[in-house]
Amino acid sequence: MISDRVKSNLKQTFSESLLPKLGLLLLVSIVFMAIFAPVLATHDPTRTGHYSDQGTAYPPLGQDLTTQIAQDGDIVEVTVEPTSEHILGTNNVGQDVYSRFLYGARVSLIVGLLGTSMALAIGVPFGLVAGYYGGRVDDAMMRIADIMLAFPALVLALALIGVFGQTPIQVPDPIVLAGLADGMPESIPIPGMVTLVVALVTWVWFARVARGEALSIRNEEYVKAAKSFGTSDRTILLKHVLPNSLTPIIVLATIQVAVIILLEASLAYLGFSGTTLSWGYEIERGQDYLRTRPWISMLPGIGIVLAVISVNLLGDWFRDALDPNIEGEGR
Amino acid sequence: MTEDILRVHDLSTRYFTQDGQVNAVSNLDLRIERGEVFGIVGESGSGKSVTARSIMDLIEPPGEITGGEIKYRNGEFAETVADEHPNAVNGEFVNLLELPPNVRQSLRGTSFSMIFQDPESSFNPTLTVGEQLAEAVEVQRRASARPRSTRARTQSEEYSLGNFLLSTVLPSQKYITEESRERAIELLELVGIPDPVERADEYPHEYSGGMLQRAMIAQALAGEPDVLVADEPTTALDVTIQAQVLDLLDELQEETGMTILLITHNLGVIARMCDRVGVMYAGEIVERGSLEDVFDEQVHPYTQGLLGSVPDLEGATRRLQPIPGNVPSLLDHEMDDRCYFADRCPKAMEDCLEHPPEFEVPGSDDHEVRCVLAEMEYAESRAVPDDHFSETSRTAADKHADPDRTEDDVQPQRAEQPVDDSGGDRL
Amino acid sequence: MSRRSGRPLVQVEDLQKYFWENDSILDRLFGDDPVPVRAVDGVSFDIHEGETLGLVGESGCGKSTTGETLLRLQEPTDGHVTFDGHEVYDLGGDELTAFRREAQVVFQDPFSSLDPRMTIGETIRQPLEVHDIGTDDERRERVRDLVERVGLSPDQLDRYPHEFSGGQRQRIGIARALALEPEFIVLDEPTSALDVSVQAQVLNLLDDLQDEFNLTYLLISHDLSVIRHVCDRVAVMYLGEIVEIGLVDELFENPDHPYTQALLESVPRASTDERDRDRETLAGDVPSPRDPPSGCRFRTRCPMVIPPEDLELEQETYRELMSLRERIERRDISLESVGDDGQFDADDGSVPDEDVPAFIAAVKERLLDVPLPPRHDAIVEEALAELAAENWEAAAERLRTEYESVCERESPDLGEQAHPVACHLHGTASERTAEPDSWT
Repeated sequence: MISDRVKSNLKQTFSESLLPKLGLLLLVSIVFMAIFAPVLATHDPTRTGHYSDQGTAYPPLGQDLTTQIAQDGDIVEVTVEPTSEHILGTNNVGQDVYSRFLYGARVSLIVGLLGTSMALAIGVPFGLVAGYYGGRVDDAMMRIADIMLAFPALVLALALIGVFGQTPIQVPDPIVLAGLADGMPESIPIPGMVTLVVALVTWVWFARVARGEALSIRNEEYVKAAKSFGTSDRTILLKHVLPNSLTPIIVLATIQVAVIILLEASLAYLGFSGTTLSWGYEIERGQDYLRTRPWISMLPGIGIVLAVISVNLLGDWFRDALDPNIEGEGR
Repeated sequence: MTEDILRVHDLSTRYFTQDGQVNAVSNLDLRIERGEVFGIVGESGSGKSVTARSIMDLIEPPGEITGGEIKYRNGEFAETVADEHPNAVNGEFVNLLELPPNVRQSLRGTSFSMIFQDPESSFNPTLTVGEQLAEAVEVQRRASARPRSTRARTQSEEYSLGNFLLSTVLPSQKYITEESRERAIELLELVGIPDPVERADEYPHEYSGGMLQRAMIAQALAGEPDVLVADEPTTALDVTIQAQVLDLLDELQEETGMTILLITHNLGVIARMCDRVGVMYAGEIVERGSLEDVFDEQVHPYTQGLLGSVPDLEGATRRLQPIPGNVPSLLDHEMDDRCYFADRCPKAMEDCLEHPPEFEVPGSDDHEVRCVLAEMEYAESRAVPDDHFSETSRTAADKHADPDRTEDDVQPQRAEQPVDDSGGDRL
Repeated sequence: MSRRSGRPLVQVEDLQKYFWENDSILDRLFGDDPVPVRAVDGVSFDIHEGETLGLVGESGCGKSTTGETLLRLQEPTDGHVTFDGHEVYDLGGDELTAFRREAQVVFQDPFSSLDPRMTIGETIRQPLEVHDIGTDDERRERVRDLVERVGLSPDQLDRYPHEFSGGQRQRIGIARALALEPEFIVLDEPTSALDVSVQAQVLNLLDDLQDEFNLTYLLISHDLSVIRHVCDRVAVMYLGEIVEIGLVDELFENPDHPYTQALLESVPRASTDERDRDRETLAGDVPSPRDPPSGCRFRTRCPMVIPPEDLELEQETYRELMSLRERIERRDISLESVGDDGQFDADDGSVPDEDVPAFIAAVKERLLDVPLPPRHDAIVEEALAELAAENWEAAAERLRTEYESVCERESPDLGEQAHPVACHLHGTASERTAEPDSWT
């Protein structure tokens, strides 16, 4: 699919500029973090009111300390500040902030990538068909798309979650199954409904771009030539129209990954995530402690920002390298 | 024979691309007489457009004029610049390449004007044609109000954002004056646009292609230039409209006595319009002389090939005699030091493996050719063997297949294209 | 498909193709009526086996649309095309597949006619795959043969189109069209994007291929010298109609239609005699196909419009009067701007009585360049007087009764003579009552 020319352009743009390198470095780190979260994590991120191996207890933030002492009878050393045990402390229910940060990367990336793929799968065929056939078909299909666009994405997403619910799908964690990590959750919750919902509110962008491409490609003479020797519409769509419209779709897809990561974070912040292991949810949790323990909110916040920046940098790189209008200039 | 208005000597224009240096124009000599129509004919990628742009000072990076002289004869202008730029002045001639950009820019419109192939991109679609013409008039009028100072020409009042905002609020606040508007209407009439009064208030999209081309000519004439450079002025037009535009140029030239440099790939247009002709190939003028010299007494096999390729409209059907092969690469490292046409030439001889100088062709005053055939007869015995170039051209072809290069550098004409495309709306 | 002798390979009858503007749902909602653009408006011609028919005309005359419609790349608005005795627009299933094998097309733009993401080997092989011809090896062999036949090296099969020059790409397009061994190829401006020297190579190649494979060509071009060089017969199109058809020599030596004559005269010859050649340049622009002129479509530019009988006027003067009337009919004169600023104060739209003579003089001065004989002067002044009172219709009517030409009343048809010409100067249309749409 990707021609040599595109490859060489990608290489060239990459070597000429610092930003794509930065983006790639960031993204690779985040992906690494997400995959090996169980290995890198120090505590089970879901376990609350954690007791350490030595038996020291860390009551949840905000819980009355005296109650705790009274219940247990002994005097214990209590802290939610960073310690050697909890390097970034715990949140208000006593979960390890650092471990949750690692696991949060998983949810963001999975929703971002999966959501984008689903949006691609819906939007691209829709747009290609509308653009290729044109006329009434196009008219009707694009009005549907316009209606989708008329709603703000977040509002539409909330409404859809209201309809579909937000139950996550539990998927076994391959790293834990492989025995690489102990004491970590054996399955990871994937917010399937949320993923579907973000795809449903973003596919229209792919449809519009794909349609625009198909509209121009169908007038290319190679498409007419293919028709002239009797190629079926399906074959033309798959062999000519789709490959030639990929470039802007790829660029859009990278940008959409970032958009979806943000959308997921917003939903999670509002409490519509399906899993608590999400950066957005974590920001909400730490909100009450912004003055005293700001890192609880800031760490996942930084995670979101870095993920979005890295994907956007890569998107810019693709755009610069693939855009035929930019190509060839500046030489 | 009249005096020369323009002498181009040893002009070289290069494009410095990633893939190497493109020799778009190399060591080009040219002489244009006052009041004549000089034609440059060549195929795509031959450098004819770049030549025109070099003369107009419209070469943009990565392109650069790397050497030579462009000497323009204008006594008054020479006096004006003599103090500040003594190096540039030689008698009545001024070497334009020695002048700073702002002074050269001041010559555009008043001394040199250019018309382009695509009239549609030469007009702003949001302004009426009349307004745009009037604007051109205004610029020239203000410039000539203080003709003595070259600097003043470039420091006329600029169109500012303030003007723009005001003009949207107050309809009277226009950049143009009533005089300019009237002159614009005169110009439209001059170029044969019917009902110029009404037409002046129309927008470019209401004009047909031929009319817009006329309007562009009117715009170029606003400053009453000495030299009009017409770059493929009729290529985008249908034949009947082309005939109208050529008639118009002919009439205007007769009326105003201006000099026209006509760039085209169409040999018919050359024959119709030109007094003298230069044939370009691979960035050089390979043959030049009067129309008769080039069309009837040509020496260079490329000129012969070009004329033999044109299907005849009148004669009986005969097989065409095409030039074999393709347009050569203009990348510096792919150009051997030989006659650049030798690999396609049916009469290539051993002598052609050295780059030929310009020879004068006997029998005519002004007929010069870059081909050894001007001095010697073709001899079978000295012919270059058929496979001589196949090796080199083969490697060139393989290089072209190198996947890491982009389309632009494979063919010289493509390399030239960004310039061609963008130039339309620059002037 | 079987061949019956004596029948033309391709027969086009009264083919029409309109495009519709303002035809979307929104336009319907706002109640805008669709506007037909009459790209092809009733053309008929035959193409015989083994010949090359040229279709020549200026841009926008509908020649390319004709080519695409007769191949059924676009659905026709009306009309018939028979290919080898079969009605093309009724074909379906296997018959349509068979037609797609027999009729091919080569396009103009060598940069858009090849898919940039396919190697040229894939591009040429494609038709064979679509029709499922041969095994992989046979296909490979066939592609190599084709590439060699059009003058390229089989080593280049794995390269992408951008690595080739325009002429080479055009050769690849030709190889693709030949892959299915067709009988008939539509060549849609095959050389207009090429340099002359390369154009000559491609024309020679097409010529050789025709002899070798007994091909029938429809060559669509705006370049008359290419047409002359390649074609056996020529059809000249103007604004969606064919105005003249004939053998190439006959038509180029003795063009009958004024448009053909003008077209031929407009082409600059590449010879030193060109500057002294007598030529008459056609005035004006091609009218819009949205609203084509009545009667003969060429009449608005024709230098030989037929005046009503007994009208002793020079053609030039007559043409002036025609265009004056046309502008009145289109209401294309801004009365406010007549005369000096506000000279004819037209508050209620009409000119005050006392100013009428001056107004008439001013309009005449602006719109008519030639002096009129007294009788006609009087008629024009009557008409302009109506104009002064804003009676456009009456002004037009006054002129129409006096000067209406047969060329605008009746649409000329091609006739059935050996060298058909759609012009009232050549035919009997002016005597008989013609039916404007009777194409034969």
